[in-house]
Amino acid sequence: MTDENNPHLLPGKAAVTSAQPKRGFDRWWFLVAIVALLIIYLITAKPDPFRRMLVFIADGVRITLLVTVSSFLFVMVLGLIAGLGRLSKNPVISTIASVYVEVVRGIPLLVQIFAWYFAFPSIIQSIGVKFHIPAFENYLANPVGMAILGITFCYGAYMSEIYRAGIQSIARGQMEAARSLGMTHFQAMRYIIIPQAVRVILPPVGNEFVSMLKDSSLVSAVAVADLTRRGREFISQNFIPIEGWTLVALVYLMMTLFASRIVTWVERKTRIVR
Amino acid sequence: MEPIIKIRSIKKFFGSTEALRGVSLDVQKGEVIVIIGPSGSGKSTFLRCINRLEEYDEGSIIVDGIPLDSTQHINQVRTEVGMVFQQFNLFPHLTVLQNITLAQKVVRGRDVAESDRVAKELLVKVGIPEKADAYPGQLSGGQQQRVAIARALAMNPKIMLFDEPTSALDPEMIQEVLDVMMTLAKEGMTMVVVSHEMGFARAAANRAILMDNGLIVEEAAPDVLFSNPKEERTKAFLSKVL
Ligand SMILES: Nc1ncnc2c1ncn2[C@@H]1O[C@H](COP(=O)(O)OP(=O)(O)OP(=O)(O)O)[C@@H](O)[C@H]1O
Ligand SMILES: [Mg+2]
Repeated sequence: MTDENNPHLLPGKAAVTSAQPKRGFDRWWFLVAIVALLIIYLITAKPDPFRRMLVFIADGVRITLLVTVSSFLFVMVLGLIAGLGRLSKNPVISTIASVYVEVVRGIPLLVQIFAWYFAFPSIIQSIGVKFHIPAFENYLANPVGMAILGITFCYGAYMSEIYRAGIQSIARGQMEAARSLGMTHFQAMRYIIIPQAVRVILPPVGNEFVSMLKDSSLVSAVAVADLTRRGREFISQNFIPIEGWTLVALVYLMMTLFASRIVTWVERKTRIVR
Repeated sequence: MEPIIKIRSIKKFFGSTEALRGVSLDVQKGEVIVIIGPSGSGKSTFLRCINRLEEYDEGSIIVDGIPLDSTQHINQVRTEVGMVFQQFNLFPHLTVLQNITLAQKVVRGRDVAESDRVAKELLVKVGIPEKADAYPGQLSGGQQQRVAIARALAMNPKIMLFDEPTSALDPEMIQEVLDVMMTLAKEGMTMVVVSHEMGFARAAANRAILMDNGLIVEEAAPDVLFSNPKEERTKAFLSKVL
């Protein structure tokens, strides 16, 4: 929905200065209202199981948000580093960055999460045994930590490609103008190129955030008590697959709807007048 | 007197095309030089070599006693050489004032008050003091180019390079930019200008140069070059432009 609402922000399309026409009742409000009404209807009309379940999964929502938001912050940093790495003129740096991106993009996220949670601690432990490092020998993976690490490592690769495209889309003339004023390459990146690139990449970054919110459900496979896992626990205890998964789906939908709205809002706030 | 720009037989290749085939030029302090020539003759490449936006493959350039050899020297030269581009290249995410103050702060290390003062003075000089808080996208082409000139001047350059500063402008805006350049020339700024504005060249330039095919073909006072060229290639080019 971000893209359709903001055609002027799509790379390659001409920017528009005129304000968005104000629609009193756009599709987003319509959807949010329907989902909200549905949830309210369910918990009031059938408090058992819906109200009970909502209370039960509340801390799962918290974990899902924690995993998504903290991974996202790390992804923004890792993606920038890897994106700049791919653009680097230094062949060693650009090769390392390319290998990282290509390898990570070729492996399913679920497999990567398993690797971080199961394989990574074993590697640390066997290093500990070999070199007699007690801290390593007794290393136990923290599920939430490994989940964040796994998502960050994976999404960082996708994000680096978004950064790279964004930076490349800023006209070469901008870099030259900055350099001709005596700025160093770093200063030109810091003050001219990256601030503009960040605005160009907001729509795809917003989409990534929404995907991360949804993909964070994969961490339920490694003992992280997120929304999906808490939902599944409640459902299997109470034998209510239809009602249970409906509620889980509605709660996810509510979160993604709000996430994409926030993205649209940020885009509008930071738009460049052309 | 020692020339402020000393260029010795520079050559530049883009792959197999030889954009510059051994160009030499001395520019004295306070001189205004206008370069004309057909498209693809290497005018922009030549200009961009002077502040090393383009690397040259052979030859040497010394600007104000500093040879363009190390990164440190190149940055040093760039702070003394302002450049104005055909496409303005203003920073679209910054206001006019911020466009003019940014490099003063991060390169020259001036404080906010000082850089704002310099910027506002220059906006008066280029005739658009009321646009300080506008964004580049809200300005006409002529106004944008004048901001670009102010942005370059804010670094107190000793030399200004102009690469076809008026050729992306609507005809009615060309004069306002040329007027600013004229003022600069009168104040004694050293200028190297790629432009086919003959009126400006006659009024402001000490020398006019015709480039063709990566070489300087002819060099003379503007009146002489435009009215009485010696070289056949100059005559042929002028007959097409005039
Ligand atoms: N970045 C580049 N890569 C490859 N070739 C280039 C590049 N820049 C310039 N050239 C080539 O170098 C030659 C000189 O180009 P230059 O831009 O200096 O000409 P110009 O005289 O400024 O032309 P114009 O009047 O069209 O601006 C041309 O043949 C051009 O195609
Ligand atoms: Mg050119």
